[in-house]
Amino acid sequence: MRKLRILLADDHKLMRGGLRLLLEQQPTLTVVGEADDGRQAVEKASSLKPDVVVLDIGMPNLNGIEACAQITQTSPTASVVMLSMHSDEAYVLRALKAGARAYLLKDSAESDLVRAVQAVSEGKSYFSPAVSKVLLEDYVRKLQRSGVEDSFDLLTPREREILQLVAEGKSNKDVANLLNLSVYTVETHRANLMQKLNLRSVPELILYAVRKGIIS
Amino acid sequence: MDAVSEVRDGLGGEMKDHSTRLLRVLLIAGFGGLLAIMLIAGFTALRTLGELHRAEEEARREYLKKNQALNTVNLVVHSYTDQVEQYLLDNPPVATAPTFETQVDQLFRDANAALVQYPDSGDPMELSLLAEMKSQLRDQEKMFRSVLAMPPQDRQRQGRNAVNRDLIPGRLQLLNATQQVAALNRQKQEQTDSQLFAKFGHLRMRVTWMLLLGLAAGLLLSLMCGIYILRLERQARRRYEEIAKSQQDLERLSARLVDAQEAERRALSRELHDEVGQSLGALLMDVSRLKSRLSQNENLQDELDHMRSVAEKTVATVRNMSLLLRPSMLDDLGLVPAVEWQGREISRRSQLEVDVQASDIPDDLPDDYKICIYRVVQEALNNAARHASAHHARVELRRSQRLIEVSISDDGSGFDAERVRGMGLLGMEERVRRLGGTLLIESKLGQGTKVRVQLPTSVPYTQEHAEIANTARG
Repeated sequence: MRKLRILLADDHKLMRGGLRLLLEQQPTLTVVGEADDGRQAVEKASSLKPDVVVLDIGMPNLNGIEACAQITQTSPTASVVMLSMHSDEAYVLRALKAGARAYLLKDSAESDLVRAVQAVSEGKSYFSPAVSKVLLEDYVRKLQRSGVEDSFDLLTPREREILQLVAEGKSNKDVANLLNLSVYTVETHRANLMQKLNLRSVPELILYAVRKGIIS
Repeated sequence: MDAVSEVRDGLGGEMKDHSTRLLRVLLIAGFGGLLAIMLIAGFTALRTLGELHRAEEEARREYLKKNQALNTVNLVVHSYTDQVEQYLLDNPPVATAPTFETQVDQLFRDANAALVQYPDSGDPMELSLLAEMKSQLRDQEKMFRSVLAMPPQDRQRQGRNAVNRDLIPGRLQLLNATQQVAALNRQKQEQTDSQLFAKFGHLRMRVTWMLLLGLAAGLLLSLMCGIYILRLERQARRRYEEIAKSQQDLERLSARLVDAQEAERRALSRELHDEVGQSLGALLMDVSRLKSRLSQNENLQDELDHMRSVAEKTVATVRNMSLLLRPSMLDDLGLVPAVEWQGREISRRSQLEVDVQASDIPDDLPDDYKICIYRVVQEALNNAARHASAHHARVELRRSQRLIEVSISDDGSGFDAERVRGMGLLGMEERVRRLGGTLLIESKLGQGTKVRVQLPTSVPYTQEHAEIANTARG
């Protein structure tokens, strides 16, 4: 079986070393390159054609979010795992908008990284449990304090199903096949649920799903 | 350097103070002197004038008195000689002897009384003339008595003789003496007049001198006053300039302070995040790897777990410190997400729920603006949560044509914005003022607080700021 090729981008050598050791303990993974900053990461991603790029969110020259956006443009085959110190939704949402599939907290990288790399290579999303926890807490607290009903309760079972599948990274066509529905019906459901939840984009939808614990 | 020049200024100031005090004393003395000169001059002039007036009056009175006495004597002489002549030559006599005697006696008494009353001026010539007049009068009286004693026939015979021999020359002599005395009197009067005139002239001279002196003193004084006023003006101007300069210095200093503080924070934050945080992260990973390698040893597992939790806590602490010092969101995400993050961060820690509304805020705001707005929002939200125990706050970021407007309103307990000015508020004001903006705080006890900031979008970005920012980055 072909090993997963990984590009590591972090401006701290110590950290990079640790991550490399962690990943190479796995027989199915291999680190094909390392980058010091965002710009180098973008260049190496297009030259090395890795399957997965592990990006630190805070890097000099070009930060992780910008680098992620460029990599998803120039190397669409590479999936991005974002490493960050922050569990705040502003970061998560920006990372998702930039095209990242996984979002990990650095403190828990050693336990989550391998799982996250495998998940994104299979086209799935992955979020550190700590991130999901913070997002959920923020969400629940806001609902409680503002006294607003949880709009999730307004969704039909079908819409919830579709929400989960879209959040996991499935296209409308995949969803239609899985649920034995027409693409048109899926599109309608999707539009309805996004309107009910007041979501405007797929990244926001993913964030919502993470927040609600629908995906992790 | 500044301190040294200040000391020198201080010494110079002391010396100047001294000379100013001297000048002030001189001025007071001068004014006093001038006043004294005026008073003395006026007083002496008045007194001398009074004296002159009195002397003149007296001289005139004396002169008139003397004249009157002489006139009396003249009159007496004329009338006496006429009567005696008539008495001697008329035949028969018009008047009877006793009537004639009483009439002539009365005339002599009048003449003597006039001479006795004649004021004694001590002039020997006058005195001798008067004495002569008196003796003449006595002679005439004697002759008159002898005439009276004559029997009528003798009188007829000797009358003509007596008139020619005694009466006419006596009258001439007497009148002559009176004329001489009158001339003397007139002369004396003229003398007195000229004396008075001389005295008056003297007085006029003296008053003129006094006036000249006063004028000179006044001129000197006004010169000194002018100098004094000029010096005061110069001092006032210098003081004003000093104050303006120190105010400017203060402003520059406080601007530098804000910049330096921000730069320092940024450097510290970076250091903490990049060095301490990352090393701890690497350490954490090492511990985890070690743990998976030593999975069979139970005791070591526990210890490794402990190490891990300590390291994790430290990482969290370091990260929080770093974020407090410099919100890396500002650099990573931009202003609006950073403000939103701040809002969520506050609601995680307190009862305050924050709602952020932003419209049309450009991503490429200068760092000064971002940090200013961020810090103002941070301060206002912290106050709302900590001191005002607010439950809801609303942050609005708007951009109009030339302004960026930020408002933070809460439903907390509010405060007296007129009186309370904490360090936090001062810091906010300073940051805003530096960018040429205005900060307005509307708050009343029990009515919540609204902080409004307006920043002009085109502000000269000075070299100084750029330098500090660069040192911070380097």
